[in-house]
Parts: sequence; C-alpha cells; structure tokens
Amino acid sequence: MAAGLRAVRRWGLVVAPPSLAFTRSAFVVKKANNAQPNWLGVGLAFGTSAALWALLIKQHNEDVTEYERRARAHKCRQCS
Amino acid sequence: MVFLPDESRSLPPPPLLNKGTVWLGFAGWMSALLDNAFNQRPVLGAGIHRQVLFASLGCFVGYHLLKRAEYKYAKVDRELCDYIRHHPEDFRPSTG
Repeated sequence: MAAGLRAVRRWGLVVAPPSLAFTRSAFVVKKANNAQPNWLGVGLAFGTSAALWALLIKQHNEDVTEYERRARAHKCRQCS
Repeated sequence: MVFLPDESRSLPPPPLLNKGTVWLGFAGWMSALLDNAFNQRPVLGAGIHRQVLFASLGCFVGYHLLKRAEYKYAKVDRELCDYIRHHPEDFRPSTG
C-alpha cells in the first residue's frame, strides 16, 4: 500500500508526507532492500509451496482412492 | 458447518487441472505480479518465490472450493431427481 502511495506521489497527485515528527506510520521507518535476497523468506516461500503441492497431490490421490472404493462397494443399481 | 461433508467423497474427484485450480492459481500469480509492480520491482523477473507461493496457494484453495461447488451442485441434482421420482404424476409426458 505504501508503494502504491509512492507511485501516486510521483505522479504529483499526492503531496509527500510530513517529517517523522508528525507521522506514526511504520512504513516510513523501514526501507525495503530488494538488492539482497531475504534467503529466509525465499526458503520459507519455496518450502511452503512444496508443502502445499504435496498436500494437494496427496489429497487428490486419497479422493480418487476413496471414490473408487465407494464405487466398488456401492455397485450403483438405480441412479437418476 | 462442514466444508466438505463425508458424502462428498462419493463423487468423482475433479482432476488436478480444473477450472478452480487454473483460475485461482492464475489469480494468485497475477497478485504476485501486481505486488512486484506496486513495489517497483521487475514485474516478471522478481520475486519468483513469491509468484510460486501465491500461485500454489491459489491452486490449493481452488481445488477445495471446486470440490465444494461440485458437491453443492450434485446435492441439488439429487434432490431434484428424488422429487421427480416421488411425484411421477406431475411429470407424465403430455398425451394430448
């Protein structure tokens, strides 16, 4: 959100915020450094993605197995 | 209220590549690209880990939402067919 505000300010539509004395926003204090990778964040993101895919594929395989098991057990006589 | 009742497992599960997975995965990827744009980073080349994470999250949520949607549709279909079966007099083919 702060970056969007920065962009709007560059276009001259919004004035710059006053000095630190008047603002209490945390976004003014911190400056993101995109040059050095945040390796912890990268590792966590890739690890979480891998975990999500593993969960999804496992869930899908379980669903398929359960459906086939029920289809074998039920042997549908009369469906609409 | 349960997100996916047990009887929903009697339905054929959707394939891993389905409209929910694709659409929400794409939406997640787009939001990562949008985050890049707002933070003045290269749109496609930066934050690959973020793009992968958001897309994976979208796929995951999309799959489960689609399963719930299919369950809801199947439930309505079943109730409709049961009604038709229990009230045959209302559904006779017109003879006149």
